[in-house]
Amino acid sequence: MVRPLDPRLLQRARAARRYVVLTAGLGLASALAIVAQALLVAWLLGGLVTHGSVPGTTAVRALGGLGVVVAVRAVVAWAQERYAQKAAAQTVAELRSQVVTHAVALGPRWATGARQAEVATLATRGLDDLEPYLVRYLPSLLLTALVTPAVLVVLLGLDWVSFVVCLVTLPLVPLFMWLVGVMTQGTSERRLGVVQRLGAQVLDLLAGLPTLRAFGRESGPGARVRALGEASKKATVSTLRVAFLSGMVLELLTTLSVAVVAVAVGLRLVDGGMSLTTGLAVIMLAPEVYLPLRAVGAQFHASTDGLAAASSAFAVLETPAGSDAEGVLAPDSSVRALVLDGVSVRAGERGIDAPSSLSARIVFGSGVAGAGRVVVLRGPSGSGKSTAVQVMLGLLRPDAGQVFLEVSGPGGSGADRVALQDLDISWWWRQVAWVPQRPAIAPGRLRDVVTGGLDVDDAALDAAASTTGLDSVVRTLADGWGTRVGLGGVGLSVGQRQRVALTAALLAGADRPVVVLDEPTAHLDAAGEQVVLDTVRAWRDAGLTVVVVAHRESLVALADQVVDVAARSLEGVGA
Amino acid sequence: MSRDPLRDVLPLLEVRPARVVRAVVLGALALGCSVGLAAVSAWLIARASQMPPVLTLSIAVVTVRACGVGRGVLRYLERLASHDVALGGMAALRANLYDALARGPVTGVVGLRRGDLLARVGADVDAVGDVVVRSIVPAGVAVVVGLGSVALVGAFLPTAALALLGCLLLTGVLAPWLAARASATTEAAGAEARAEVTARTLGLLEEGQQLRVAGRLDAEVAALRAADARLTQAGDDGARTAGVSAAIGAGAQTLSVVAALALGMVALHAGGSLAPVELAVVVLTPLAVFEVTSVLPGAAVQLRRSREAAARLAALLPASSVPERPLSRPATDAAGDVVLDGVAAGWPGRDGEAAPPAVTGVDLMLAPGSVHALVGPSGVGKTTLLMTAAGLLPPRSGSVSGDASTLFLAEDGHVFDTTVLENLRVARGDVTPAQARAVLATVGLTAWLDALPDGLDTMLGGGATTVSGGERRRLLVARGLLSPARVLLVDEPAEHLDPEAADAVVGALVQHARTSGRAVVLATHRLAAAQDADEVLLLGTPDGGGPAGVVARGRHAELMRDVPAYAWAAGQER
Repeated sequence: MVRPLDPRLLQRARAARRYVVLTAGLGLASALAIVAQALLVAWLLGGLVTHGSVPGTTAVRALGGLGVVVAVRAVVAWAQERYAQKAAAQTVAELRSQVVTHAVALGPRWATGARQAEVATLATRGLDDLEPYLVRYLPSLLLTALVTPAVLVVLLGLDWVSFVVCLVTLPLVPLFMWLVGVMTQGTSERRLGVVQRLGAQVLDLLAGLPTLRAFGRESGPGARVRALGEASKKATVSTLRVAFLSGMVLELLTTLSVAVVAVAVGLRLVDGGMSLTTGLAVIMLAPEVYLPLRAVGAQFHASTDGLAAASSAFAVLETPAGSDAEGVLAPDSSVRALVLDGVSVRAGERGIDAPSSLSARIVFGSGVAGAGRVVVLRGPSGSGKSTAVQVMLGLLRPDAGQVFLEVSGPGGSGADRVALQDLDISWWWRQVAWVPQRPAIAPGRLRDVVTGGLDVDDAALDAAASTTGLDSVVRTLADGWGTRVGLGGVGLSVGQRQRVALTAALLAGADRPVVVLDEPTAHLDAAGEQVVLDTVRAWRDAGLTVVVVAHRESLVALADQVVDVAARSLEGVGA
Repeated sequence: MSRDPLRDVLPLLEVRPARVVRAVVLGALALGCSVGLAAVSAWLIARASQMPPVLTLSIAVVTVRACGVGRGVLRYLERLASHDVALGGMAALRANLYDALARGPVTGVVGLRRGDLLARVGADVDAVGDVVVRSIVPAGVAVVVGLGSVALVGAFLPTAALALLGCLLLTGVLAPWLAARASATTEAAGAEARAEVTARTLGLLEEGQQLRVAGRLDAEVAALRAADARLTQAGDDGARTAGVSAAIGAGAQTLSVVAALALGMVALHAGGSLAPVELAVVVLTPLAVFEVTSVLPGAAVQLRRSREAAARLAALLPASSVPERPLSRPATDAAGDVVLDGVAAGWPGRDGEAAPPAVTGVDLMLAPGSVHALVGPSGVGKTTLLMTAAGLLPPRSGSVSGDASTLFLAEDGHVFDTTVLENLRVARGDVTPAQARAVLATVGLTAWLDALPDGLDTMLGGGATTVSGGERRRLLVARGLLSPARVLLVDEPAEHLDPEAADAVVGALVQHARTSGRAVVLATHRLAAAQDADEVLLLGTPDGGGPAGVVARGRHAELMRDVPAYAWAAGQER
């Protein structure tokens, strides 16, 4: 059984901690108001019914007290509503940024495929399920913990018989709900599965409507949608028949208990064993004992959805990040070569190593104009070229083998070998411009995006843009270099994004002496490909090192060094 | 908003009013039990304090107990009844939506696959259905029980009844109105921030590794936090109004008790017709009544959301309910030509505003057994032209004539959540397993089929077996090959395929044309696919801009010889 309040939520989200304290305070205030209201009404009404009238001062005091109660209840409700929403939004925001940051820190391998979709759903819509949990369920829970005992204590002071009735019936409510829940859980889950499947089929037919229309077969499934809908309704109603049972048990027990208390009080009044004022107070307080518990029951679904979202978030946050010890070395000299020594990376579930035992010494350019190098990583698709790039960038630790950098020793004499994992990785990243298949474009004015905050004059900008073909894109934009791209701005196609990223990498120049391109010509037509070739040549002429993943001959022809990447099945190894 | 979109959409729920009335009656009886419990126990206790013979109280005792049992049971029945109405309504709405989209213009359907629109249609249908359970029934119950309670109190003390009515109006009308306004404020102000939060979150998750390497991760996370802070702020403005609504709801109950006490005291003092026992009923009844209005703020918020959902659904529905003349030609077996004469193709503009056509001046004769290739850069309008030739879009000018049946095979054709065989039977209902295997072999999917756990009966799509881009492409081509249509218009048959597989698929389509006498048109940006075509049409945009047209046409070899740009582009593919 899940805990109703996950302590990790309070540890991770500051907003949630403050909110719980505030809600508890408001809960206490409302408990006081409820008790005061019952006692004041009973006092005044008891006097009126018994004697036909009450002294003027008594009436004024009681009515004045009730006026205060009106104010207190209104203020409590206002504050609860006002701050609950805000606290929930803040909690969701805190968890969202933690989940996103941690998911990124877990590296490129972690968030792939189905898990990527899961994390994306969790971080965008999933965490929103915490809002109803925090706004509605949690206050009810705290009221159950505060108001119910407070009212019970008052009841004990007034009339121990009613107190015993409430005390005995109260635990029956969760007990019976639990029993009903356990007995019906299997059936509901099975039926819920059917309902979801039927709903998905209808949406599937809607999604396939363009295809069905192209084949001229759109009229047939109409009847099927109707039949599926009918079946779905039947299945859902029978699920609900069971699911609502626990609600009925809750209502039945609480209302019946109140009725029992009322009848018992009435019968003792006839005997003269109790005063009318006490009796009135008891029958007004008895429903209040059960009210928070009923609210908890009504918000039960909010609680399960919210807690499920929270525990998915904690599951992400508690996944240990691979890098056990961060390196600290930051050489103040230039990199001469990158050495891959028997690097293998297991490829998920596929039972292969891709790449497998990759060894290569990638010699870097000197940085002097004309002394650049182009290194091509080549291999069939699925052989692990992109993975090899991630290993070189230090984003992924190989399952076997080592990655070294050769940096020139002090005074340029000799060369030191430094393992990549011993380096301060952000130092290495500052040496590299990486243009992946789908480059990320920071939102902003196109000129700022391309220059990345560097001080670049217009001539250099235009020269770079004409090399990458970005100039023709800029000409089609209404505001030219001033056009806002990304969020809220102009959307760019994959080819256009690539040109922007290439231009940015080109302008980074000596700041980033190593350029890594991943399949820069995929999805490009012949003209687009020419642009990439020109850009790679420009880098080499400037003395930079270009590491490029490619399978087209045109790029391989440019290479100073070709590294062949291959995968190997693990089953073959064992035999 | 001139007209309530819910009025347009609610009839599609096909809800029978009697069903709604039944749910309202059950709900009113359930809450009536609550009110009755409060009123009768107040009378019972006040009367008992006067120590009458116990027998005179027995009816009240029984009533109190009955109310205690009745409430739970009746509420259970009401929830079942109202959910039954709502679920039936959702099912009918889905079916009616499907029918309307199947009959309406094809332009309404094509957009459905884009983004999360489809998922939203599902959610919108649910939101419209929810209006029954969360708004209509609770409002009906509130009116019945509220007025009943006012009448009960009025029977003893009319002035207290008026006070109760006033408080009920505060909680039942003013508070819900404020709550609906608050949620509208929050959603309107938060929409932009929410979109930004979503975009930044997805961006960070997809591009996080690049951002780390580029040293921009911290700045992007800070930007996400800032966007989330704006979202919180947007909610805060609405929460202020929602707080007032909640305060009214909480204060009004006590206020009505205070009013009843004060008015009752005056009536007793004046020595009117009000008996002391009746005063207890007048004071304690309101305590139970406010439960009926407590759900109304939520009901008002739901009503507003359902209305917005209904507006989105209404926008999807074709403007007129009259079925449009089906544009696509019937799938008969009659062979014949399809002739395009000076066709300009383009999407109809939005809101009646005419967008310029994408492609103009295309003449083309699709004779049985012929193979044509449309080539040109991405975005030049190949797909639009194919859809026009297929009769799915009306030509912007010129004409498409001929009585041969046509089939447009979209690049993003749908793989249904069903078996491989049933997916192929979309083309033709009577495809046999042997035919299915043969056609999958033609497109090079035999190895894939053999690796499937249940062969042709393997479930595809959804959470079942995933299909890669290349496999999907070939499966869709296989489906096209099984179609009885005489003219096949195939969009990018070689996309997502490596060169060998691409050649095999194109070869299968050409072979199909030659042996079965179908006409085949291939749209592709891969020129190698054009080698075996009888005629290649090179589409291009003139230098000065404007709609694209046919730049050159002829056999592949002729274009290689005569058009330098074509030859260069073909050379780059190797």
